[in-house]
Amino acid sequence: MRPLRNTALSLALTLAAWPAAGDVAFVTCQNGDAVSVLDLSTGEEHARWTVPGKPAGVAVDTGGAVYTVSPDSKAVRRFSFAGEVLAEVTLDGGPIAATYDAARDRLFVSDWYNARLWVLDGATLAPLGELPADAAPSGLALSPDGAVLAVAERDADRVRFYDAATLTLRHTTRVGTRPFGLGFAPDGRLFVGNVGSNDVTVIDPASGEVLATLPVGERPYGVGFAAGRAFVTNQYADTVSVIALDDLSPVGVIEVGEYPEGIAATSDGHIAVANWFDNTLSLIDAETLEVVASYGTADGPRAFGAFILHGDLP
Amino acid sequence: MNRRYLLMSGAALALVPGMALAHGPSRQKITLTTEVAAEPAEVWAVIGNFQDMSWHPAVVSQEGQGGNEIDATRMLYLSDAGADGPKIDEILYKYSAEKMSYSYRITEVAVEVLPVTNYSSHLTVMPRDGGGSVVEWRGAFYRGYPNNDPPPELNDEAAIAAVSAVYQAGLDALVERFGAPAS
Repeated sequence: MRPLRNTALSLALTLAAWPAAGDVAFVTCQNGDAVSVLDLSTGEEHARWTVPGKPAGVAVDTGGAVYTVSPDSKAVRRFSFAGEVLAEVTLDGGPIAATYDAARDRLFVSDWYNARLWVLDGATLAPLGELPADAAPSGLALSPDGAVLAVAERDADRVRFYDAATLTLRHTTRVGTRPFGLGFAPDGRLFVGNVGSNDVTVIDPASGEVLATLPVGERPYGVGFAAGRAFVTNQYADTVSVIALDDLSPVGVIEVGEYPEGIAATSDGHIAVANWFDNTLSLIDAETLEVVASYGTADGPRAFGAFILHGDLP
Repeated sequence: MNRRYLLMSGAALALVPGMALAHGPSRQKITLTTEVAAEPAEVWAVIGNFQDMSWHPAVVSQEGQGGNEIDATRMLYLSDAGADGPKIDEILYKYSAEKMSYSYRITEVAVEVLPVTNYSSHLTVMPRDGGGSVVEWRGAFYRGYPNNDPPPELNDEAAIAAVSAVYQAGLDALVERFGAPAS
């Protein structure tokens, strides 16, 4: 069917168009002021939501919502899976990324310009408080057990760990140069992409200790995990570096589109990569390391955050 | 000729260091192409040397090191004042004679010269259907003002306009040099 192009009005139609099963990607497209909603089993763009303010950050709540962060208009929005705006807040600063804490129904948002995080109510987006950070906080991630919040502090060359329940600071860890994106491996270790030093820092969040520093390609941006491997997008190299999780050895390098950025795993052993310059989403088989599909998106896909909804929609 | 001073928008040419770290929230991208009558090898012979950008009307002279090897550098001088005038420092990070393409980044430029930060670019020559070549120039960059709420001369639109003007001047010079395809 014809792709649907807009928001709340298309609610009923969009619901009728959902696939019976399969993962769905919610790809923030910064230059196009949009979210492309892609069925990852067919590549069909089910919907294209209009999201003003140059959206970059995204966080999917599997319970039924998608959060977007628009740095230009400083707006954070909560969408239903069907594209209805459920809540919206304008923050005074430079919001860029978000991560959702389902256990406590809280959304964390980094403030790129003001060395802090916002803590928002997950349902209403009402500000609950602020947490201090070092210079230029950017990528955010919650540990697989939900206990730890990690914050990349880009211009401080550090990562900060908060206790997600008590919001107390646990550790700060020196990493490579200009950490931006980060992600927790399924085993709980944190992988941090250092844009300026072209490497990945692996950290034990329990102790805050650096376990390893691994060279990758030019300008590592995001980290995803599948098939016992870490996958790192290299913005300037147009590649994805693959690292074995068991011994942290390099497994290979995959050519993808131009300016690969957001990266996340599907539930069936693939890795999805947003190619910012090309307006495509590459799907990689995490076992064979082949690019098996390339799907079109709106202009300038960034998908900075947890942008894939796993499995059946409610 | 006017194009020579194209990059020097605004009167102030003080060479303040670019903000290499911080950048705006939204990266911009542009792609400009042109078609010329000459075959790709002939066009690449003119524009494929990272150390020779004399084909661009805004570049008065240049210095550089490293040839066409990865991490080669060049300093493009945009006036007769050489290193004392407006200039752009660049570094090569991809080069393929086979694909007739190279990629480079700006390491240093004053926003008064070019209102961008974190700039990267690709220049590529491709065969054109029906003969001749297509030259493609792509850029990705943030605006010159790293913080929120930029002044008009340093906003996203100003960055796009400035880079587009640079590319257009270069591509126009190639059409002038090689001619437009006959059909």
